[in-house]
Amino acid sequence: MWHFLRVVISTAKASLVAQWRFFRWGGMGLRLFPPLLNLGVAWALYNIMFEGKTLDAFGRATSNSDYFSFVLIGSIFYIYIVASLFGLGRAMFWERAQGTIEVLFLSPMNYVAYMIGVAAASFITSTVDVLLLFFLGNVLGFRVQHVDAPLLIVGVLLMILALFGLGLIVNAITLTFRDRVNTANTLMTVLLVFCGIVCPVAMMPEWAQIIGKAVPFTYGLDILRASLLYESDFANVLSNIVGIMALASLYIIIGIILLKRIEENSKKKALLTVF
Amino acid sequence: MLGNQILKTPTSIFQGGRKTNLGILRVILAEMRKNYKQFFFTYYTLFWVLFLPLGNGLLYYFMYLPFTKTFIQFEWLGHSYPSMDIIGFTLIGQLAYTFFLSTLLAGAIFDREREQGTFEIMLLSPANRLAILLGNTFGASIRYLWLLVGTLFFFSFSFSIGIQINDFAAVFLSLLLSLLALLTFGLSLAAFSIHSRRGGLIAIACQEPVAYVSGLVVPQNALPQTLAQAGYLIPLTIGLIALRLSLLGGALLQDIQLLLLALVVMIVVYVVLAHYLIKVAEKSAKAKGTLAMF
Repeated sequence: MWHFLRVVISTAKASLVAQWRFFRWGGMGLRLFPPLLNLGVAWALYNIMFEGKTLDAFGRATSNSDYFSFVLIGSIFYIYIVASLFGLGRAMFWERAQGTIEVLFLSPMNYVAYMIGVAAASFITSTVDVLLLFFLGNVLGFRVQHVDAPLLIVGVLLMILALFGLGLIVNAITLTFRDRVNTANTLMTVLLVFCGIVCPVAMMPEWAQIIGKAVPFTYGLDILRASLLYESDFANVLSNIVGIMALASLYIIIGIILLKRIEENSKKKALLTVF
Repeated sequence: MLGNQILKTPTSIFQGGRKTNLGILRVILAEMRKNYKQFFFTYYTLFWVLFLPLGNGLLYYFMYLPFTKTFIQFEWLGHSYPSMDIIGFTLIGQLAYTFFLSTLLAGAIFDREREQGTFEIMLLSPANRLAILLGNTFGASIRYLWLLVGTLFFFSFSFSIGIQINDFAAVFLSLLLSLLALLTFGLSLAAFSIHSRRGGLIAIACQEPVAYVSGLVVPQNALPQTLAQAGYLIPLTIGLIALRLSLLGGALLQDIQLLLLALVVMIVVYVVLAHYLIKVAEKSAKAKGTLAMF
């Protein structure tokens, strides 16, 4: 256990040093621009174009008519999705690009611990982006309606678990198929569109709702919004918690199996460093 | 065959001791062919030109659902068009924006040549520089076929986009001039990226700011005025207004003549700018010899 923790901490430390010592403003811009666009659009639609009036169906779906705050919570969460897909999801891809992947697999460590370390570093860095967005949101009119601290903590933890699972799966795909951007970009678009970041899933067309319900983050977002924006009934919160737990567990199990397969294949085929 | 001829031509020129330029059309066609072979059937292209635009189109459409399910109000020069279909509004926006994005991404051509180590060879060839850029930009535009086919497929099911045309000349001219203006804008950016060494990054980083100020998602009248006015410097903004008015608002030629004139001016300005930037880059390359460096 102690060894596992040491791997987590040292990996997180190394990743954080690499991210901040070689800080790229361009990279930060690329992470922040998409959620900023969503926020800007939400602000213009809600405040200028429709003058604060939303449809009754929106009020029924969210128990709140503040569209800007609705999108802000979604956009904050979206930053963590990007961290999971582009940070954790390409961790081993970059090890190969830097020529260190063989050394990584030769070291006697637990690879899940290594991935947890990378995830921790990515999420810490993203938290800086989130704080920036949160500050900007407050300037533009975001207001926390109420705080349900236990629900918020549960929601954040479950969300991180689900994102970790997703990151493990994407890591296996990017490493195996030598794919730098396509998988991450594609998944990012799917999640952005369907998991209710900019529009309540209940208001989407039925076919889009089916896709949205297959994604754990839809449930997680609902929990986060229920903890900060609107009060939700217990049955709804419970069904969301069960939904995200089930899907997050599934993602993590698949991710760990894939990680083991990568390790086995690397020994059998010795193709890990081949581009 | 054409490629072989082009490769051989510089040799014969230097052996003969004469200085000749390759035919502009041949250079354009060769660049288009190269671009097609390198990129047309790749997942990268499919993502940028088909998957992302359709995904973003859905996203922007979903953003309207909390407010209205059918129509929005669109204003231009004080004239209000109260019943513009949201799906049509979003779709036309995505079609024009993706074309713009294709030309923008084509601006990274010199980055790629530099990475491949072929940049100096390209500049040593007697091919017309503007023709290289044009060929590359046209090549990038061909990838746009993916989106057109995808859109036809997607919308052949059941979606209605609320087309309302009263003047076909207005539609034709707004389409033609918008595409030309976007092409020439892409050309200027490509020329600019020779100097910057950041063509790819500029192209990607421009996406969201341009999408916002150009009125792609929300009409110009719903944006803060300073941002809306900044948007008028981009041909996409003018093109989008002209296309939406002529295709969805039933505008006549006289209603949009000011927009069309602005597009013509932009075409001329951006062609001249691209030509100037290429000349400056070439001059600097000869003087400093650092163009191929990263």
